[in-house]
Amino acid sequence: MMRHLLATTCFALALGAGATESGADPYEKYAGTTIVVSWPALSHFQAAEALVDEFTEETGIEVEIDALQYLKLRDRQLLEMSKDEGEYDVVSWVVMWKGEYVAKGLLTPLSQLFTNASLVDPDYDIDDIADAYLQNGGVVGGAKGYLPGKSGALYGIPFGAETSILAYRKDIFEEHGFEVPETYDELRALMPEIKEKAGIGAMTSRGQTGHQVTAGWLLHLAPLGGRVFDDQWNPVLNDAAGVEAAEVMREIVRTGPTGIPSYGFSEAAAAFLQGDAAMYLDTLKIAAMTRNPGLSTVDGKVGFALHPTGTRCGSETGGFAVGIPANAPNKEAAFLFIQYITSKHGDRRMVELGGDPIRMSTLTDPEFVGKYPEYSVVAEQLPCADPDWRPLIPEWNELNIDVLGQALTRVITTDEPIQPIMDEAAEQARAIMEREGYYTWRDYRAGQ
Amino acid sequence: MADSRRWAPYLFILPAVLVMLAGLVYPVIDAFRLSFLDWEIGQPIEQARSVGWSQYRRMLEDPDVRESLWVTIRFGFWTITIEMALGVALALLLEKPIRGASVFRTIFILPLMVSPVVVGLIWRYLFDARAGWINHYLQQMGFEPLVWLGDAELAFFAIVVTDIWQWTPFIFIIVIAGLQALPGDVIEAARIDGTNWWQQVFLVKLPMIRSILLIALLMRLIDVFRGMEVMYIMTGGGPGRATELLSLHIYNRAFNAQQLGYASAIAVLLIVLVFALSMAILAVSNPMRTRSDI
Repeated sequence: MMRHLLATTCFALALGAGATESGADPYEKYAGTTIVVSWPALSHFQAAEALVDEFTEETGIEVEIDALQYLKLRDRQLLEMSKDEGEYDVVSWVVMWKGEYVAKGLLTPLSQLFTNASLVDPDYDIDDIADAYLQNGGVVGGAKGYLPGKSGALYGIPFGAETSILAYRKDIFEEHGFEVPETYDELRALMPEIKEKAGIGAMTSRGQTGHQVTAGWLLHLAPLGGRVFDDQWNPVLNDAAGVEAAEVMREIVRTGPTGIPSYGFSEAAAAFLQGDAAMYLDTLKIAAMTRNPGLSTVDGKVGFALHPTGTRCGSETGGFAVGIPANAPNKEAAFLFIQYITSKHGDRRMVELGGDPIRMSTLTDPEFVGKYPEYSVVAEQLPCADPDWRPLIPEWNELNIDVLGQALTRVITTDEPIQPIMDEAAEQARAIMEREGYYTWRDYRAGQ
Repeated sequence: MADSRRWAPYLFILPAVLVMLAGLVYPVIDAFRLSFLDWEIGQPIEQARSVGWSQYRRMLEDPDVRESLWVTIRFGFWTITIEMALGVALALLLEKPIRGASVFRTIFILPLMVSPVVVGLIWRYLFDARAGWINHYLQQMGFEPLVWLGDAELAFFAIVVTDIWQWTPFIFIIVIAGLQALPGDVIEAARIDGTNWWQQVFLVKLPMIRSILLIALLMRLIDVFRGMEVMYIMTGGGPGRATELLSLHIYNRAFNAQQLGYASAIAVLLIVLVFALSMAILAVSNPMRTRSDI
């Protein structure tokens, strides 16, 4: 309450001042406003705190950060955004929640702010942002509701977005003469060999029941040619590719470091960073993490390569985007904040601070490419980033946690045959889609 | 005068009743109301679809609910049995004024003072497959490391051990208080009658504190049905649903799957179960009805 009062007072003062010097400084009108930002407690966002301080210094807009464990954000944000008047001015979501947030009417379409010439920086250059990131994190309502398409609209800007690459221990690979796997066949042949010859877990993976084990499986599904649903929303997660991806998960667990079925994101990364696994195939965030002495004992020993291919190249699209709640008290200041941290300047600063870039100009900047070995890999990987890596629909959460999350736990913790487990999951998925009306049109046409 | 004396007790009870109404009865009624709606967070509650009793029908047929209930019952059986046995045994051992008894007593009740979230974290790291102490020492002794929290049986074992570690002191502290309050003349009479230590324990002491034992049992039983923090931190209910106690199942349904109405229906089942259990135990022996105990 006090903060609001203060903010309003400052706002009024700023308005008064603005009347004499009309608009020489786009930030002046909002100086003294405090915006509240909800984002995850992950390394990229921790690195961004210095950039946030620079933003406050330059603009006079105060920023209060509410950082939470990333999977806990959704509850908190949903509660806050469903109030008549919310606390949050900026929210950062995992891309898989975007459909739900928009379907419930909780986000502000960014077009409302991009039409305001006094807010939009003419040098912002949105086309420079990696297209896979922008479409995946920010655009909602295109093909199938979440893919790029003409019916889509922009709700967020990627920040902390990612795709997947392969990280491997150069020292171990050299010592034993292992070849870096380019295909899934090579990967599957290599894993037992690493375990046997090097006596170290071959590849780490997430495996905890629910979201984590599903994320692990999805990483292999796309390159092996699979999908969760076909174009008619029929579950195809139990086809040959889906089952093969599950087999790969089982092999990873058997040849990997001890305890994968209990690993979340942090534990999976820690196993690689602390030298208990020879490979890591997941988010590119691992690269910055290997350079963090607080997390890593393998700095300088890690090489990066493209995500191995199966029947196609297909890497993860994930991570975070930032946007503005529909009930945000300070939408314009929030927009200025988002624009600042995702601008060309902000993106370069993020790299300097140890975060991950979203802009092609940063990724291909010779200065950074020389310094960070993964940048050229990421730039090459991005065209393969699969926008249909997972269905970003409101029902995904239930499918992700309750259906696939349970089925895949059975895959990796038991010796049961995989096909029946996946068939059962597909049946459950179909029931959910039926319940939510995804087959209404098909049934209607069939009845005509 | 007589009139005010008649009303005074009610007046004094009133604040407590109001707090109970606001803090307990209202949420329970609201949960009951919610169990008839299909509602997700973020959706205005007025727009929630009314679905009648269908969530209750679904609950009765839901294998996940059944599994979670079964996990809760198994968990309750093992933890409470072992905690009661251990707690009573420790209390009997430390009842006598032996040297350093007060130090031991303090040490034994320490786990009780730790918040459940911290307990969850401590044991999660102890049981950690890769970096945990337990696996570290297993390996030093030449055993294979075990995936404690990623294997259905082992994870269940792990949460049982954790619960015993935390809650045995609770039984201990209640029982020792009861034992120390026992009238010395009765014990002395028993001794004069020539009873040995075992006879004193099983024929005199324990029967005399039976209502205390019953209260301890009842409180633990209710706790088992309410408990979720430790499992939430240690395993999140996994692997699969191997450690998903009913309360955690409700939480996961409500906030992960966003089925708040359905979760409320299961919560109503939980309340009914706990209520029925409490009533059953009180019916067998109501410690508040008789004054024969201490």
